[in-house]
Amino acid sequence: MDINRSTDMKYLGGLTDWGRKLNNTFNNLLYANHFQDNIVKGIGDEIMLYIPDEQLREKSSNNNHYALLEDIYAGLYLIKNHPDTDLFLNCKVAIHYCTEVYNITFFKGANDFYGSDIDLTARLMAKSVENRIVLSEKFYIKVKNDLINLHMTDKSGCLSRISEKFLENFKGVPTSTEYRVIDIQ
Amino acid sequence: MELIEQKTEKCVIVSITGRLDTTNYSLLEKKLTDLIENHEDKILVECSKMDYVSSSGLRILLMALKKVTMAKGKFVLCNLQDNIREIFEISGFSNIFEIYPSQEEALKVF
Repeated sequence: MDINRSTDMKYLGGLTDWGRKLNNTFNNLLYANHFQDNIVKGIGDEIMLYIPDEQLREKSSNNNHYALLEDIYAGLYLIKNHPDTDLFLNCKVAIHYCTEVYNITFFKGANDFYGSDIDLTARLMAKSVENRIVLSEKFYIKVKNDLINLHMTDKSGCLSRISEKFLENFKGVPTSTEYRVIDIQ
Repeated sequence: MELIEQKTEKCVIVSITGRLDTTNYSLLEKKLTDLIENHEDKILVECSKMDYVSSSGLRILLMALKKVTMAKGKFVLCNLQDNIREIFEISGFSNIFEIYPSQEEALKVF
């Protein structure tokens, strides 16, 4: 999750105003969707979440990939459409289903994740823009499987707005990557 | 989640029981949309038995608020549990919704 045009706002609008909105925005996205324990790292105006499958399944509600996507969509919708335009900053998001991930850190007490899928997630973020979710085809397939299990159509909820498949050769990624986008209404 | 609709002289009360999540938010969306399309523009949402909400549920409430406001009606919430109230505050919803601590107090504004 990344704040759009954050650096511009920081210098044009002032640090205090930027900080307040940044805090509001991340709190909204994290706490309203119960993701606050899944932050891997935050660097300024960008945060990375890692939600292992077993942890997702243990959630008492919204415990599948479709629900995850739907809540992220709704979170961005609330920010974009909130009547008070002075509270939040618009965001962009990239989501990938990671299998090549390993937890390693060089700092005592810290927590970090590495792996080719983490690199790919960062590449996907470069394809996102304000009020857009970019999702890898690998994640989309997980979402579609959930919809089958939930007896829901593949145009349910925010998926009615999903794009066709795009193909991209990302720098450093040996094979082409398939992804789709959902623009927030 | 269970939805109970009750018509009173002043407004329609929609009571939410249980967890408002991605598996059922469309039920609330349909209920509120149907009410608004049938010109029921004075709506009180009773939340005392709603024990979970996430952005998906909040989105439906915001959409309903916008529609009712456009129709010059009134869309009010009451009896939020503490954990739900916290989410409303974080989401900036406490400032845009009329929220009352009891149904009795909420009914006075219609």
